Amino acid sequence: MSARRIVVTSGKGGVGKTTTTANLGAALALRGKRVVLVDADIGLRNLDLVLGLEKRIVFDLVEVVEGRCQLRQALIKDKRFGEMLAILPAAQTRDKTSVTENQFAKVIDELAEICDYAIIDCPAGIEHGFRNAVAGAREAIVVTTPEVSAIRDADRVIGKLNERGLPMRLVINRIRPDMVRAGDMLSVDDVCEVLSAELLGIVPDDEDVIDTTNRGEPIVLRPESRLAAIYDKIARRLEGEIVPFTTLSAPNFLSRLLGRKAG
Amino acid sequence: MHELREDPLPAAPPPPQPRGRAIVVTSGKGGVGKTTTTANVGIALAATGARVVLVDADVGLRNLDIVLGLEARVRHHVLDVLEGNADLDDALVSDKRVPTLKLLAASQTREKDDVDTAAFRGLIERLRERCDYVLIDCPAGIEKGFQNAIVGADEAIVVCTPEVSAVRDADRVVGLLGDRLSIRLIVNRLRPALVRRGKMLSVEDVNAILRLPLLGIIADEPGVIVSTNKGEPISLDAGSQTGEAYRKIARRITGSDTSVPEAPREASFFDKLFGGQR
Repeated sequence: MSARRIVVTSGKGGVGKTTTTANLGAALALRGKRVVLVDADIGLRNLDLVLGLEKRIVFDLVEVVEGRCQLRQALIKDKRFGEMLAILPAAQTRDKTSVTENQFAKVIDELAEICDYAIIDCPAGIEHGFRNAVAGAREAIVVTTPEVSAIRDADRVIGKLNERGLPMRLVINRIRPDMVRAGDMLSVDDVCEVLSAELLGIVPDDEDVIDTTNRGEPIVLRPESRLAAIYDKIARRLEGEIVPFTTLSAPNFLSRLLGRKAG
Repeated sequence: MHELREDPLPAAPPPPQPRGRAIVVTSGKGGVGKTTTTANVGIALAATGARVVLVDADVGLRNLDIVLGLEARVRHHVLDVLEGNADLDDALVSDKRVPTLKLLAASQTREKDDVDTAAFRGLIERLRERCDYVLIDCPAGIEKGFQNAIVGADEAIVVCTPEVSAVRDADRVVGLLGDRLSIRLIVNRLRPALVRRGKMLSVEDVNAILRLPLLGIIADEPGVIVSTNKGEPISLDAGSQTGEAYRKIARRITGSDTSVPEAPREASFFDKLFGGQR
């Protein structure tokens, strides 16, 4: 069998690649898919923190590549998802040039034999780490925020993905509907038009993400969160379902006054 | 603390006087506000009358020109200068608002591997001879672009947001910077209300790990996104509290302000009513 191999990338850092990787992977795992998340950010790994698995790391991607351990030994299962979700952590004390594109692709090939989805969390930038992360992928998710600088970087990355013939879809992250309405933020339509890309998901800015990320708990495990439903929809779209996009409503006057998100 | 670090390049030569200060703005993690910080601190420094050059070291993914609203005026870039295709003076773009501020843009269609690290250090040296401050906007990550950005600097501003992943990356960068550079910290995008509710790390939490001299604290406010999208850095806004926080950082850099950075004031009832942009 052969898994879907998806790289999550953006160009600009801090737009939500790791958060998207973790939550989308978790949402797919909750739908019964076997998912392995691969942290390609050698030297600046964070996927383990976002999932709260940092204390369980024994081996890492570089050690797999160097043949110091078996691939299966390096995988860390996230027990909250039964047997369905695992991560392959990056090395923290090495640098990105310690793995070549071919070596990276080979690891992903091997992973593809044992799961349904291999999702690769790409580092920021378009240097060696980006080339590695993309080398193992057959499709891409580009994450961007509605900011001019993020969109410019996404555009550059989309160009690089096109050169490699990788199909891609877009996740627009951290939309603030009230700011869009006030004309202070680019809308989803603006972003899609500039990038002429197909939309995979729209994720609103939600302060709970900061807290859950700091706690190592993906927000999809909080069913009461509106983001849990949104990531589930993105997972279903990946699975090929046609799922309408949520219309985002701005927090109302009262909730804004109280500094809370709308219900 | 970091004496085991291997320095791949020889240290910068000892500083002859007078020469501008070269400060790299870095973070490890992307999206924490390096470019916004570079633009705002640079403008605030230049507004004091100092001659300031901002250098975008993010070859291939430049953004400093957009944040400054100067993208239409860029004609030459770093690699044009390094490869002898443009004069340094021709490549410097003067700011529209603060004439003592200049931008050296990064090349958008080239790669960081095209930049020769030693030549980049030479470029920073030449800039230091003709201005008071050179601020270098470092790319995210710790690859070649990071090495280029830090090589000519002898001071660093580490920008960090109150998030565990940003703190971990910042800590790694501090280790890589080693003892050659003097390092100060800006904690960016703090939301005091979230800190109070225990849903965000405090400045003390962040600095319990990083243990760096604190240069400033900047609040998370929508006004920064708006000003960035418009290419009008918020430090130009005389009425903005965040703008004032950047101006204070500039005064701490020049040495004219020796006050201890304070966490931003809680948003008031009216701030919330008007979206915190007063």
